[in-house]
Amino acid sequence: MRVAVNIISASKIYAPVKIQDLEDKRIVPKMMIRRRLTRNAKIMLYLADKCGFKGGKIVYASAFGELQSSVGITDSILNKTQISPTIFQNSVYNSAPSYFSLLNSDKDEIITVSAGMKSSKDALKIAALQALVSGERVLCVATECLDIKNIDEVNSCTSYLESGAGVVLEIAQDESDAQEIESLNDNGVIESLADLISVVNMNENGEKKIFIEL
Amino acid sequence: MKAYINSYESMSCAGDTQALMNAIYSKKSAISIDTTYMNETPVGLGKMEYDDFFKILEDVVKTVLDNSNLENFNNTLLIVGSSVGGMAESEKHYFKDKNYKNIDFSKHAINVIGDYLDEKFSFFDTRSISTACTSSANALLLAKRLINVEAYDNVLVVGADSLCYTTVCGFHALSVLSSKECTPFSKDRDGMNVAEAVAALLIQNVKTDESIELLGVGASSDAYHMTNPDPEAKGAISSMQKALDDAGIKPSDIDYINAHGTGTMANDKVEALAIETLFDNVYMSSTKAIIGHTLGAAGAIEAIISCESIKRGLIIPQTSMIDVENKNINIPQELIKKEINYVISNSFAFGGNNTSIVFGVLK
Repeated sequence: MRVAVNIISASKIYAPVKIQDLEDKRIVPKMMIRRRLTRNAKIMLYLADKCGFKGGKIVYASAFGELQSSVGITDSILNKTQISPTIFQNSVYNSAPSYFSLLNSDKDEIITVSAGMKSSKDALKIAALQALVSGERVLCVATECLDIKNIDEVNSCTSYLESGAGVVLEIAQDESDAQEIESLNDNGVIESLADLISVVNMNENGEKKIFIEL
Repeated sequence: MKAYINSYESMSCAGDTQALMNAIYSKKSAISIDTTYMNETPVGLGKMEYDDFFKILEDVVKTVLDNSNLENFNNTLLIVGSSVGGMAESEKHYFKDKNYKNIDFSKHAINVIGDYLDEKFSFFDTRSISTACTSSANALLLAKRLINVEAYDNVLVVGADSLCYTTVCGFHALSVLSSKECTPFSKDRDGMNVAEAVAALLIQNVKTDESIELLGVGASSDAYHMTNPDPEAKGAISSMQKALDDAGIKPSDIDYINAHGTGTMANDKVEALAIETLFDNVYMSSTKAIIGHTLGAAGAIEAIISCESIKRGLIIPQTSMIDVENKNINIPQELIKKEINYVISNSFAFGGNNTSIVFGVLK
């Protein structure tokens, strides 16, 4: 089943190691909360802000989730040191959108997808379903943060250790002028973000409506 | 189109679904006291016996296929819900080598479960959901919606999580692990039992004589705290109310509530308040006293328990109840035979992620 969706807004960001200005002091003025945020959460909050998304249903995707927190936990176990409760609570895959929910008093549904290199593709499918059943606008956002110690031992999939892309979408009234998602991923960006980056690039090229297979 | 649960199977520390229901109705907890993960500190865990977790996964899904009207899963969407995916495998390599070199990251992430099952059964397509302890409940939510909008005829929902150091030690760091069998909703409860399980349910747009209807789904976010539930229980009330609205029934229509009931101070207090607020003396209990908290698999395995409760016409008694904390909720301690038309099952997770599912007898 295929639906046509309008792209309301779109944004992307990535950097070889660490994204420098995520405007987190402006987006999260309270220092106590800001200090607890994961890098995925900061990127997700930045993208939501750039997309003008204030609240509603969120579909978030990440192939590797909160890798930095996971490494922190396994290092603590290995070294027989105390696991930080904050690091453990931040280790779940839905951490980033949950921080958005907390900071924006957004009590709506959050679905988190982790489907390897097709994470953002599947997130778009689920976001389209959520938009279809609710009749509402949905934020579809994906981030990857792989900036952990010795990542070079295993990283062969991206030139950018931090990356993210997001779109706000809604079901279109009709299919006229809707386009299939083109393969327009930026060189070197991790494959798990490919479909969302492609949609952002299509939107930047003037496309406002796309087809998504549920 | 309506969504029907037509075939299911599970494996947990209590055994397969038949053994699980026997344990539930005879009130025999399958929790064991274990010192493997916590450096000689005893904790209660729901631990299965196996050489290969993936073989259990395959066997459970094969049983569901064999008991269904399908010859294969070629026209079926697979939706997996898991909170840790292949974490246990990654830990094994990391603790041995003290580096990442032998970690295959395609086997680390959540999608390893879906990828393995897809290789064995060739599904039409796969999705992998990870919203911590609501993962497979949210997989059921999506399955119902996909059937409702006629996007798919068949959806297989699999909830699967294996024990690993990260979750056992992590929950210990939060001081919420019990050193014995958990006692949900008891006044003197002292925490939860981390557990592992595999549960699979085939959801279809056609019904059989044995079908249970997947009648309503609801979800919400607390927007309160990353691990503590909203003390006013607004998020839990909201997810249950939305599931009832989606099912088109009233709170008074519910015959039994399969509670999230982890045995932690925070969850059980807030969930009891939510149920007290929304329902009037409806029977409720937590089966985590039998199999522990199976994390991402909890929504799926408790969906199976809810279906069995309806089919058997037996309200599930609470195991390990000593003295109920909230006197305004109705927790039976003995088996009650009753016609059961509607059951609601709750799953709540880190991040304030709440999901409730309503199951209905075939009308």
